[in-house]
Amino acid sequence: MTLIRGIISRVLNLFGPTPLSRRKALWGLVLIAPNTIGLFFFFGVPVLMTFWTSLQQWNGIQPAQYIGLENFQTLAQDDKFRDALTITLKLVGYTVPAEMVLALGVALLLNIPLRGRGLLRMAYFIPVVTSTVAASVVWTNVFQPESGLLSKIVASTSWADRKWLTDPKFILFPIAAVTVWQRIGFDMVLFLSGLQAIPNVLYDAATIDGANRWQRFRYVTLPMLSPTTFLVMVLAIINSFLIFDQAFIITARFVPGGVLDSATTLTYYMYERAFVDADLSLGYASAVALAQFAIILAITLVQLAVQRYWVYYEAGEAEA
Amino acid sequence: MLKNKRQLVVLLVVLMISALAAPVRAQDGEELLIQPQPCDEPGTLTMWVWDENWASIIEDSIAAWEADYCPGAEVNIEVTPWGQYWDLLRTNAAGGDLPDVFNMSQTFFYFYADNDALLNLQPYWDEFGVDTSLWGSGLVDPYRWGGNGDLYAAPVNWDTITIFYNMEMFDDAGLDYPTADWNWDDFAVAAEELTVGDVYGAAVYLEYQAGYPNWIAATGTTPIVDAARTACTLDDDGSLEALNFLADLYNDGYMPSISELGGTSADDAFNFWASERVAMITAGSWKLTDAIDQVDFDWGIVQLPQNPATERSRSIVHSVGYVASANTENPDLAANLILYLASDEGQRFFAEGGNVAPANPSPAIQQLWIDSFGDTDLNIQAFVDATQDSQGVTVFDEIWDPINSELVVLIFDLDFPVETAVEEICSVVEDELP
Repeated sequence: MTLIRGIISRVLNLFGPTPLSRRKALWGLVLIAPNTIGLFFFFGVPVLMTFWTSLQQWNGIQPAQYIGLENFQTLAQDDKFRDALTITLKLVGYTVPAEMVLALGVALLLNIPLRGRGLLRMAYFIPVVTSTVAASVVWTNVFQPESGLLSKIVASTSWADRKWLTDPKFILFPIAAVTVWQRIGFDMVLFLSGLQAIPNVLYDAATIDGANRWQRFRYVTLPMLSPTTFLVMVLAIINSFLIFDQAFIITARFVPGGVLDSATTLTYYMYERAFVDADLSLGYASAVALAQFAIILAITLVQLAVQRYWVYYEAGEAEA
Repeated sequence: MLKNKRQLVVLLVVLMISALAAPVRAQDGEELLIQPQPCDEPGTLTMWVWDENWASIIEDSIAAWEADYCPGAEVNIEVTPWGQYWDLLRTNAAGGDLPDVFNMSQTFFYFYADNDALLNLQPYWDEFGVDTSLWGSGLVDPYRWGGNGDLYAAPVNWDTITIFYNMEMFDDAGLDYPTADWNWDDFAVAAEELTVGDVYGAAVYLEYQAGYPNWIAATGTTPIVDAARTACTLDDDGSLEALNFLADLYNDGYMPSISELGGTSADDAFNFWASERVAMITAGSWKLTDAIDQVDFDWGIVQLPQNPATERSRSIVHSVGYVASANTENPDLAANLILYLASDEGQRFFAEGGNVAPANPSPAIQQLWIDSFGDTDLNIQAFVDATQDSQGVTVFDEIWDPINSELVVLIFDLDFPVETAVEEICSVVEDELP
């Protein structure tokens, strides 16, 4: 009996030193419980099941069969997985720098006090809350050869005959374009808040020291903004690694997944193995998902390790 | 006045034919192909379909079944649009919870049969005395399973392919309208003559069923995959002959590229034709209603041209089927319902509804379908004739769509030589074969 009471008080002590703080903490727990339970069942459980499924051979209709690590062994020698990874990395390369530079530019411009700034900020944010599917359909029309807006604009140049939606050389550009277009607003908001947190006194001091506009940007804004830049970069890379809807919708009109798999991203490949192929394999698809997760995790850890060399935190927060 | 008289005559003819077809149970001299049976014991069945129009037709026929053959039975019909139908079906199959009776497509049959999800209907066909060879082989062969070729589905309908052509363009080019005995050479000449300005002569390659596989079938080769699903046939001589014939027309500028058509769906070709950008297209019988409603120029229907060597004009046929779940609690009742829906009496509802061509080959039923399009000079009979020498679907599952689109994009958009494109695609196809 005393043992149980001891355990309970131990657990309660985790929530604070005094009975009052514990009671407050308990209320807090009660209030977040509905969300947490929902998250656990609809997110946590499926995630855990993915681990289990990845060890099975399962086509979704016959009973699953435990096969140990066989899916992962196949994965290690799967050329298609490697191709999908290459395509995904290319997309990360196309989208992340572009969206960061553009978002920073927009944030800098919209940080200048000008009339209608609020309206403009909203305008840039609208793509973020637009459905990716709807946006992708619109962009598909823009890139449509012959009749699309883009082919009209470049009609007199050598780009006029480019088959953006079918040619494996070009198919990633429309996909990257939607992604960048949709992400700029979100990154912009982060950059704006970062910019506004930079104390004006630093700029004043720099001006007194004779720094010109470029120098103030280079030596004050950029370093002070680096924690935000880091955050934006981590989020952007993860986002681009998971690209699916854009690729799905944009390629749907001609060849789903792109001609010769030219737009088969990692997520698309997972989807194909789970729901499209003649020999469906939910187990293998789960293994693909886990491999994708591991790669993203590794990249993020590397970024965390490298950040100390370029991210500047005031008052030595970098150690924390 | 004359027009009214003509309508009256047509009406009378339709009424006469209906009068012949309606009292089918009476068997007044008319030979019935499939006779419904009273059910042993009424019960409740669930049924899934993907097409709203079908659902209302099926509801009418089921009401007749309940009234005449199975009083007390109840069928709950659920309609799920095609896009979600197969996802939902697969999920339910995984849970061992399929509807008792549901619509099946030949492209998906293999998956469900291979996973033992379907009820074998062959014992019932034997019991009911239905000779399953009464249906054209293209309609039922893809629904046969197992060593004995047991038939697991009852075909509901058929879709065949013909050529729709713009008569005004033929007039302008000074060409005679094509007839059923024309061949590929005649077709190529017409395509060339009809290409004027930004109007193309033909667009006949898009999509599996409406496109290039028809031309391959005409050479006597089974398109894409052989019937046993063991090998890619795209690199066979017949396939290469057909694809090169089409690729030549494309390279000579008589057919538009896929980018110009705006997509890889057969509807893209149809819309191109309906907006008078191309003179001839391949089109399925499911497009008849749209064409009659939407097209304001004079147009005609003709069977696909014959291959000069084999002298065969062949259409890919697809037939939707009724199947029952292997786990149904009421197999006898499910089979009884399916028998009724496939019978002369049950198929009448489809024939009269138009749009859907009934699978039951009884000439009276077929005529009923043709007449359902009303007073028209169109050669709708061409679709019925195309069922004669038809080729059933040999492709498999959803993976076929991307592979098929890939082949046509490689040849008809990115200008790959046929041999190179075929090599690429065959390696993908052989990857997917069991």
